[in-house]
Amino acid sequence: MLKDPEHQVAGHMAKDGRLGPLVDGEGQFFKPFQSNGRGESEDKFYKSFSSNKNVPDHIRRYFPVYHGTQVLEASNGSGKLPHIVLDDVVSSYSTPSGMDVKIGARTWYPGVSEQYFKQCLKNDRETTSVSLGFRHAGFKIFDHQESRFWIVEYKVVHRYKVDDARLALRKFVSSNSLADSLPNCAFASEVFGGSKGILAQLLELKAWFETQTLYHFNSCSVFMFYENETVLMKGGDDARAQVKLVDFTHVLDGNGVIDHNFLGGLCSFIKFIQDIHESLDKLYFVGHLTCVSPSIV
Amino acid sequence: MHLKAPEHQVAGHIAKDGKPGPLVDDKGRFFKPLQGDSRGEIEVKFYESFSSNTEVPDHIRRYFPVYHGTQAVEGSDGATMIVLENLLSKYSKPSVMDVKMGSRTWYPEASEEYIQKCLRKDARSTTVSSGFRISGFEVFDHRELSFWKPDRKLLNGIKVDGVRVALRKFVSSNTLSDTSSKPDSAFASSVYGGSNGILTQLLELKTWFENQTFYHFNSCSILIIYENEAINDNGARAQVKLVDFAHVHDGNGVIDHNFLGGLCSFINFVRDILQSVDESTEN
Repeated sequence: MLKDPEHQVAGHMAKDGRLGPLVDGEGQFFKPFQSNGRGESEDKFYKSFSSNKNVPDHIRRYFPVYHGTQVLEASNGSGKLPHIVLDDVVSSYSTPSGMDVKIGARTWYPGVSEQYFKQCLKNDRETTSVSLGFRHAGFKIFDHQESRFWIVEYKVVHRYKVDDARLALRKFVSSNSLADSLPNCAFASEVFGGSKGILAQLLELKAWFETQTLYHFNSCSVFMFYENETVLMKGGDDARAQVKLVDFTHVLDGNGVIDHNFLGGLCSFIKFIQDIHESLDKLYFVGHLTCVSPSIV
Repeated sequence: MHLKAPEHQVAGHIAKDGKPGPLVDDKGRFFKPLQGDSRGEIEVKFYESFSSNTEVPDHIRRYFPVYHGTQAVEGSDGATMIVLENLLSKYSKPSVMDVKMGSRTWYPEASEEYIQKCLRKDARSTTVSSGFRISGFEVFDHRELSFWKPDRKLLNGIKVDGVRVALRKFVSSNTLSDTSSKPDSAFASSVYGGSNGILTQLLELKTWFENQTFYHFNSCSILIIYENEAINDNGARAQVKLVDFAHVHDGNGVIDHNFLGGLCSFINFVRDILQSVDESTEN
């Protein structure tokens, strides 16, 4: 029985009878081919990537596992449509907080139509893409005070400015109420830090991006998530934080040039995460209960 | 004070139509006229800020021209000029390359007109595709014993492969004007490689850019300089310098991801050349 994914935070969604991905509850994720050749493009990438011997093994973990395509009944009732079959990356998580961040100061790329270029440029300039090198696409954070999820969708995050982006990242790892404007970043260490945390994974990806010239990941997102169930339990230190790259409808050949657009944005994103992780360290010296930067306090 | 036009300028504004161009003296100083439309003020503001910024590490300062304040210079209608270190004064036969860094030369604070102009230039050049473009270069030809410069129009139209050829020509000793002979990349290791070479310096800069949030170096160039005189005996004394700060703005807590991305791409190009040179000498 296929249903819409519970923990999808961004992209087209199947709920309300629209066209979106489906999950089978047994670990598989079915993404419908997007129109205008985008589905074929994404499928082409997955086929290429899964058989590309030049991709190091330790980098493959950052990509959803590909299982070919399957024709299925589309979620919007429009009939049978090819779907890309992937591993459902959150299937083993019971209460995941997730965040989708589109990486790169520009989402357009050489060769696109004038119309597409203009739309992308407008979006990039209106959001934090141009200024930060990344923008939020959506997130779902578990509020430990309210014991429910706080979901923020595309329409809202699209209007985010630099300070909103920073605040969202802080709230992502906080245990106090998300309505509180001073997030406590209680989980910053477990989620961002450590040898297996988000920061370590992002830095591993960064190292690959400094030399890989195989693909240009235009308009791709970093999807990061972790298990709230374990961080809730005192002493449970494995948040199982994960970074995955998603959305490959606009991937192109690298042609011997590194993906400097993605890399620049990734470095900027890493700096934001690092700042949050480090202000936590300063916290312990100062004894504050918040991770708000010193200039605001 | 004896002032004259600089000999080896490869890019940027020159003296034209009665407007003053840069000048150099015989004491190792470079006089840059303040550009109009507040760009000159921005550049001065940057130099003032940078030279007194205690948080810029010493090993990074070497990548920036030393600033000596501003001065009204006679002979240019008393126009105010920025006084800087003449980066070439210690070189007798320098090869110089100017690389404009970043996959975009515009920035959010710029005027709409400027943004559109930059977008066009960036798309036509290798800026968008490669994250940088070569604004100009001049190489000493060891066979012809003279300096060679590529045709400006040709340079503006080059694509990614042209960049690779230019970077090889820049470190070659064979006849550069002859398009049929392959550049020999004879000085690649001395200029790009080694513990004091260009690659090492670029990597040091890269580390700083991964963390510094003071400045966004919009439209800045990296100048690469090396000495041709007795290069085989005395080494290349290759140097990286950042120049052109007319569009620098505050970082406001965000890294200069535009410059950094372009810098990483440029590093990869240089590294590729070094590796292919190493491989061919092994064979």
